[in-house]
Amino acid sequence: MPNKRLYYRLIPVVFALIALSTWLQPDFFQRASGIDLPKGQNPQLSQALKVEKPCVDLHPEWRKAQTIDNVAISESLLCEPDNPYNIAAFVLGMNNVSMRTMMSSRIAEDALIKSDDLDGDGDPDIIRIKLEVLELNGATPDSPNPFPTYDIAPGIQPGMWAFSPKLRGMSVKNFRSQKANAILRAPSPVIRVEQGDKVYITLENTHYFPHTLHFHGVDHPFQTADGGDNDGVPVTGQKPVMPGNTRTYELQPRHAGTMLYHCHVQTDKHLMMGLNGMFVVEENRPNNWVQTFNVGAGHVRHSSVAIKEKFDREYDLHYQSIDKNLAKTIQQSNDIREISKKMHRVYNMSESKENYFMLNGHSFPYTLRDALIIAKPDENIKLRIANTQHSNIAVHIHGHKATITHYDGVEQNPAAQITRDVYGLSAAQRIDLNLQTTNDGLHSYGEGVWLFHDHVEMGVANDGISPGGNVALLVYESLLSETGMPNILRADALDDVMTNSYYAKERALWGKKEAGTLAPDYLRIILFGLLLGLTLGLIIFILRGLTKAD
Amino acid sequence: MKKILLLSLFLFSFPSFAAMNHGGMIMDEKGMIMNHNPDKLPKDCTEISEDVDITIRGGRKFAKDYAGKMFTYDKRDWQVPPCARVNVTFINEDDIRHQFMIHGLPGYMYPKGMFTIELYGKGQKTASFIVPSRDYTYYIHCEVSQHTEKGMKGQLKVGKGSGDLDSILGLTPPLTPDLYPIKNSHYTWITLIFSILLGAVFIRVLSYFLSKREDV
Ligand SMILES: [Cu+2]
Ligand SMILES: [Cu+2]
Repeated sequence: MPNKRLYYRLIPVVFALIALSTWLQPDFFQRASGIDLPKGQNPQLSQALKVEKPCVDLHPEWRKAQTIDNVAISESLLCEPDNPYNIAAFVLGMNNVSMRTMMSSRIAEDALIKSDDLDGDGDPDIIRIKLEVLELNGATPDSPNPFPTYDIAPGIQPGMWAFSPKLRGMSVKNFRSQKANAILRAPSPVIRVEQGDKVYITLENTHYFPHTLHFHGVDHPFQTADGGDNDGVPVTGQKPVMPGNTRTYELQPRHAGTMLYHCHVQTDKHLMMGLNGMFVVEENRPNNWVQTFNVGAGHVRHSSVAIKEKFDREYDLHYQSIDKNLAKTIQQSNDIREISKKMHRVYNMSESKENYFMLNGHSFPYTLRDALIIAKPDENIKLRIANTQHSNIAVHIHGHKATITHYDGVEQNPAAQITRDVYGLSAAQRIDLNLQTTNDGLHSYGEGVWLFHDHVEMGVANDGISPGGNVALLVYESLLSETGMPNILRADALDDVMTNSYYAKERALWGKKEAGTLAPDYLRIILFGLLLGLTLGLIIFILRGLTKAD
Repeated sequence: MKKILLLSLFLFSFPSFAAMNHGGMIMDEKGMIMNHNPDKLPKDCTEISEDVDITIRGGRKFAKDYAGKMFTYDKRDWQVPPCARVNVTFINEDDIRHQFMIHGLPGYMYPKGMFTIELYGKGQKTASFIVPSRDYTYYIHCEVSQHTEKGMKGQLKVGKGSGDLDSILGLTPPLTPDLYPIKNSHYTWITLIFSILLGAVFIRVLSYFLSKREDV
């Protein structure tokens, strides 16, 4: 039996081993590469790469100028033009259309009734409109995925709300599809009436939360004829329109201009969720049948008489933004108590950030499909711009300087009108622009595929991934392809952005690889392990020996 | 004062871009050579020991093998004997500006201790400098913004040199290294645990034999 002294003598060896192993300790989680840089690797994709066609040309026959039920519908060369049967229905009212038009649209028969030429000038003056509230990319107990899906850009499906004309039939494209029917979309439709029309707008609350309608800048009395709430503000009027209920608002606007409407319940949240739209009052003219809805905003295919007097084309441009955290509140539960708590109490608008920026319900690159401004040289184009984001926008059209003719629906004194190239709009503001495409070095620099976008730079990215947001194009007809896509300089220009992985932040730019990872240094791991084992073994040996020696 | 001198130099040389030689600068529309010295001997050299011709190419394509870097020279490590006359042909293979700039030469012959060939675009120029006799490692680089940092750095050893410089692509690790994540797998952890057990078992076996020997 060895005596205790041997074991005491071994203790310094333990310390030496510990010192040695500390010195040799390998890096386990990150390390410098030394002389050779890591080879690099392609980014890991969380889902299979899907490349989309820039334009899925579903209805080429909808593009040409046509007359339906005697309604003249102008040409719309976009990739996704508006359904001309819908336009005819929106101009005539569902009570005045042919059965064929009725069947070709998905609008309910009582969604829009136009009657009574009160002033005898050849157009109807009593307009009855019914609006519903729809939800896009909401929750469903039958799947972890949102339903019905509405992609604002490739692979981006934030939860959103919108007003819509009263619909009929399924909300999805067909029984097997999860995709929202084309008419169910953002933004809430532009509503157009004629100055002096008696307008009855009924909110049919098809949603699970209470909502109201408030008309911003549109001439309306505080109360309806029979003393009901007509301003839509719960703290000054009636209780909001509860789910399953309806309320009719009454207006007879005396002043024409580009205005707004929105829900005024929990306004901070409900407005940002998408319950806001443009409301345009057109000047009174004889035989003035206006297009009551412009679903998805954008090109107006049946402009009013007053607009046609001065302009060659008309576009409604509605800028909107989304806070992804607010959007999420409707996607995580199917219990409306939970959703209400998450949205109305847990979510804090004063900590809000905007992540997605849309023009007419789409973010780039989908803006290319339906949010282009199409032009020819020497035209006057009416642009009505509304900002319902909470941040400012600074719209800029490359190669052009347009004239601001109206602020918030009020004409600017023509002598004081300003021609410039950045148009600033604070929250809820509107401007009307006269975009002249005269190649004179001032109003236009000539034909081209000219970008137009918000110059507040967060607005041109999708949750920080650029290009995205409200980037769109002003394209001259000579540079437009048959499918409504711009003839751009290189064929592969859209390959990156038309993929699901690009906006999922998983695609490296310019074909580069990522730096990637280093392999573990096995030699040092083995040495380190051996030293650690020797130390442990020795400690056990010493402890056991000392106890035995006693 | 030096600044004013340099400024007046530029003032004099800008009006016409024809080749001019001003205080060590030879300029034309293709580029610039600074402190060209084919004949003046450093104090410590009695004669030119040897004529060394080197051709050094610069450009993006030479960095292709170094993922994560952008510009470099085709060769970044050079060696010449003491008191050699180095005739450098610098070839720029890009369409942008690059330099061959060497530092640390004796200030009494090369103002600021520098010799430079700068090319404004694709092209080449040749110029010479004579190195002193002491063993020393001279620093070569391109001073266009971020070119050195992203790969365009090299060294010239005279005689045995004085060690290697840091951060030369393929030769020496960077002084302030980038850290990369290590891709551990379950093999990493199995290897570690197995090595620890092996170490511990080794002590057990050793003690077994020790006690056996004592028993005898
Ligand atoms: Cu609401
Ligand atoms: Cu360079």
